[in-house]
Amino acid sequence: MLETQLSDLASGALARILAAGSPQELETVRVEVLGRKGSVAQISKEMGKVAPEERAYIGKLLNAAKQELEAALESRQQHFAEAALRTRLDAEWVDLTLPAPGPRMGHLHPITQIQSEIEDLFVSLGFAVLDGPEVETEYYNFDALNIPADHPARDMQDTFWLTDGNLLRTHTSPVQVRGMERLGPPLRMIAPGRSFRNENVDASHEHTFYQLEGMMVDREVSVAHLIYFMKTLLTAIFRREMTVRLRPGYFPFVEPGFELDIRCLICGGTGCAVCKQSGWVELLPCGLVNPNVLRMSGIDPEQWNGFAFGLGLTRLAMMRYGIDDIRLLQGGDLRFLQQF
Amino acid sequence: MKFSYNWIREYVPEMDTPARQLERLITMRTAECEGIASTGELLEQACAARIESVEPISGSHNVKAFVHTGRYGDKVVVCGAPNCRPGMVSAYVPIGEKVLHGIESDGMLASGAELGVNRDAAGILELDSQVGAPLPGCVPDSIIEIDNKSITHRPDLWGHFGMAREVAAIVRRPLCDPVKPELVPLDAAAIGVDIEDLDLCPRYSALVFENVTIKPSPLWLQYRLTAIGLNPINNIVDMTNYIMSELAQPMHAFDRDLLHGDTIFVRRAREGESLAALNEQDYTLAAANLVIADARGPVALAGVIGGMHSAIVGGTRRIVLESATFNAASVRRTSSAQKLRTDASMRFEKSQDPANTVRGLARAVELLAELSPGIRLVGGLADQRKEIPAPPPILLPLDWLARKLGKHTASEEVRDILERLAFGVSASAPGVFSVTVPSWRATRDISLKEDLVEEVGRMIGYDSIEPKPPAVLTTVPPFNAERAFERKVRGVFANQGFAEVYNYSFVAEADARAFGMDPADHVAVANPIAPNQSLLRMSLLPELRGNVLENSKHQDSFRLFEIGREIHKQPQGLPRETPHLAAAIYSKGGDGVEGLFEMKRVAECLMPGAQARPAASRKYEHPARTAEVHWRGTVVGRLFELHPSLAEGRTAMLDLDLAVVQQRAPKEKKYSTIRRYPSSAFDLSVVAGMRELVGDLRDKLAALAGETLESIEYLREYSGPPLPEGTRSVSFRLTAGSPERTLSSEEVGAIRARLIEGMRAQGYDLRV
Repeated sequence: MLETQLSDLASGALARILAAGSPQELETVRVEVLGRKGSVAQISKEMGKVAPEERAYIGKLLNAAKQELEAALESRQQHFAEAALRTRLDAEWVDLTLPAPGPRMGHLHPITQIQSEIEDLFVSLGFAVLDGPEVETEYYNFDALNIPADHPARDMQDTFWLTDGNLLRTHTSPVQVRGMERLGPPLRMIAPGRSFRNENVDASHEHTFYQLEGMMVDREVSVAHLIYFMKTLLTAIFRREMTVRLRPGYFPFVEPGFELDIRCLICGGTGCAVCKQSGWVELLPCGLVNPNVLRMSGIDPEQWNGFAFGLGLTRLAMMRYGIDDIRLLQGGDLRFLQQF
Repeated sequence: MKFSYNWIREYVPEMDTPARQLERLITMRTAECEGIASTGELLEQACAARIESVEPISGSHNVKAFVHTGRYGDKVVVCGAPNCRPGMVSAYVPIGEKVLHGIESDGMLASGAELGVNRDAAGILELDSQVGAPLPGCVPDSIIEIDNKSITHRPDLWGHFGMAREVAAIVRRPLCDPVKPELVPLDAAAIGVDIEDLDLCPRYSALVFENVTIKPSPLWLQYRLTAIGLNPINNIVDMTNYIMSELAQPMHAFDRDLLHGDTIFVRRAREGESLAALNEQDYTLAAANLVIADARGPVALAGVIGGMHSAIVGGTRRIVLESATFNAASVRRTSSAQKLRTDASMRFEKSQDPANTVRGLARAVELLAELSPGIRLVGGLADQRKEIPAPPPILLPLDWLARKLGKHTASEEVRDILERLAFGVSASAPGVFSVTVPSWRATRDISLKEDLVEEVGRMIGYDSIEPKPPAVLTTVPPFNAERAFERKVRGVFANQGFAEVYNYSFVAEADARAFGMDPADHVAVANPIAPNQSLLRMSLLPELRGNVLENSKHQDSFRLFEIGREIHKQPQGLPRETPHLAAAIYSKGGDGVEGLFEMKRVAECLMPGAQARPAASRKYEHPARTAEVHWRGTVVGRLFELHPSLAEGRTAMLDLDLAVVQQRAPKEKKYSTIRRYPSSAFDLSVVAGMRELVGDLRDKLAALAGETLESIEYLREYSGPPLPEGTRSVSFRLTAGSPERTLSSEEVGAIRARLIEGMRAQGYDLRV
């Protein structure tokens, strides 16, 4: 009789489990069937009334029924859990084509970018990066660079004079002198920074511009070494083999002095408007340090030699990025700055 | 400076290098050529032609001219020149066949300007040549323009002969000197020269001529001057300009009959003296100005410009021709003080060669015989000079030369190069040349052996030197901490969405005032390029505000920053330059709070733990939205909203002294053990006044909490019932713990009780 009861219960409960339409309904079934006071527990209680010889048999049946129900219950619970998860996940649908909020990456000024690159290159070659004041004395800007007062070479650099007799440095070359005084030979240094010339501003002229001065002083320094460094520098900057030429150039702080031209990047040397049909673009003045300059900085020119160069960062940035109006660099216009 | 190719070739007759190629060679060996242009192209075909007859054309100013050209046959030409008349010989060019007024005009009668031989465009040329003959001495030419800056150090290259010497050395052809020194008579001089200071005027040479005829120069001379950009005037003035352009020796001609006395004085001007100059300007002179004077007063500003009263005019019969050298610095000072740059002053300030004065006069004697037939010398050379000892020879060790260039050059080649450039070369010891410098290179240009490296280097060609890496010690360069720090700051701001601007170092007075600064406190520019760029900036803020105003026209919200130097006046010495960061977060709308806190957050990215503490506001700051930024015990800058009168919308700004920030930045990082025991957290709400600072409440709680406090975090605030009017409740979460053990609930409770009691003791109500 108990066996029949058990079999009915099992099939009835199983049907209810499978028919449960919600987790709550399923829980009700679980409590009624498998709970502490549930049907299965009731039957267990009646096991005492079973004849001892049948007890093992019925017990086995009971266990089997219980396991079957538990498995069904678990499977059903899992079904509901999965369904619930699916529903939740679906409800969490997000339109990822929406724009992301918050600020975007900002922008470093193009000159900052090109300057950092060149600084890193020179540091890797053993050059120190030095700074000097933007307001300079006449001595450091001119005299110590072999440009005494009333020298016509002062005309080459229209100068902003200050009412206190100082001036806005017309080039980064004074940092050479400060570097030599501070560090002494041997010496490898660069000095990037802001320079000023008193000239009217238009698309290709600025009174405020950026230079990178470089200098090496050592026992043996020759024109051949200078050309090597300049080629290395330019090849690294433009990321391709550069053709350069040196021609005489006059700067009182170097002797001999050169203008270094690069093969025009626009036309490749055949001649175009950018290179004024010459195939070459003037890029940087350089030379071997004039012995007077070494001497004035306390370095014996019989023992030491040096080269120096002045790279126009402004010009370089314009060439690198194809900027056709120099005023944009100091203009603070986001429509320009956001392109870098 | 413009150079005529034909003119140069006169001194290097064997040169066969075409102009364009010569231009490149000069660029690579001597000085930078800025360009090359053709001139006088029509002269190729031009010939002298006689106008046989002229017929008027009804309804036109033009006439129909029947022209006998000889070379091209007889032609009919429509001509508009007022001087076109029968019988005259003019220049005919067989171009421009066209129909004018129904008449077939075949070719043209040309003016001097049309041909390029002078600037006269008022009428057609009047010639006295044979019909059919080419214009005498006038052929097409190429003009090479040299960048003046590149010959700043070369007084000799301010004349064609000097450039010809370079060209002769470059193309290895002989150089012909046009000067015949024997033409200068050495008889007693007809005029005295009295030089007050031989340092200011190392040499003054002069000749006197009589029976002078003033008239236009011959066409060849007019053409020469015109081609290089000078204006032909008359035969005497043109002659001086010609010799200046040939030998780089500026000269000046005085009308002898308008000079008072028999002596030319070269002296400093007396204070208050004045000179009416050739350019029709009056100059007030000072003792720093050197003048040429006669018995009455100044007749020329030495080395700069001649005077009007003694100038050559049509009736001039006798002239004094001056050929002198003046101190370069003195001429330069005078020229810049008087704001007058002339062809002469430009040359003198380059340190001209005193040996050149008499060469110029010799050339003048020869030219004047042609230009002013019948002219006669009066007496001989007047010549006062400073004795200038020849500079000592330069010793040039050839192995040193090779080390400097990084390339060996054969000694014969070195000698050849130097000798072609007129240096004297002798072997003073094995492998060492003793080099004497020609006078025109010795005035300033060449005195060191390094100068000779350039002479050899440029002539062998720098392109022939192979690049070579130097053999030097590998060393780690000294670290530039300031620059590394600035780079880090740039990175932080760029990463937080800021765009970097570069602004000028100048600030306008009005902007300085708007930002509460006194223009008088600024370092000022003596020669500003514009009135609004006359001060050096003491703050980056005014210009950053300018950037905000400009960009707000195009964008509703943005972030900007600049790293630059503030320049502060010092009682003496150079100004103090302090690196600053200025940043702005702009929003067209909103209440501005978000931008301020966003700026505060970014500041904390750079300076973890930085605090904003209220401060008295400055003129440009929103008075209720201003704070000092404190970091690690120091004020490092300010955080504020820009005063609404300075920009519409909301602009949160940050201004940091980067030197201080960098100095406060922790140099080293040190690990401390991770806490192994759990901490306990509890919340407290303090009832405080509406404007009581959360930071102050936090500090009070932290002070009471003691050393077991790990963190204190602001949660929220609330005002409204049941809180009394004018108060708010500020909630914090406090976390306590110990590195050695887990705090017991009793211990945590004790801390909490201490806090509540402590705050109550200070008069705060706590909602617990």
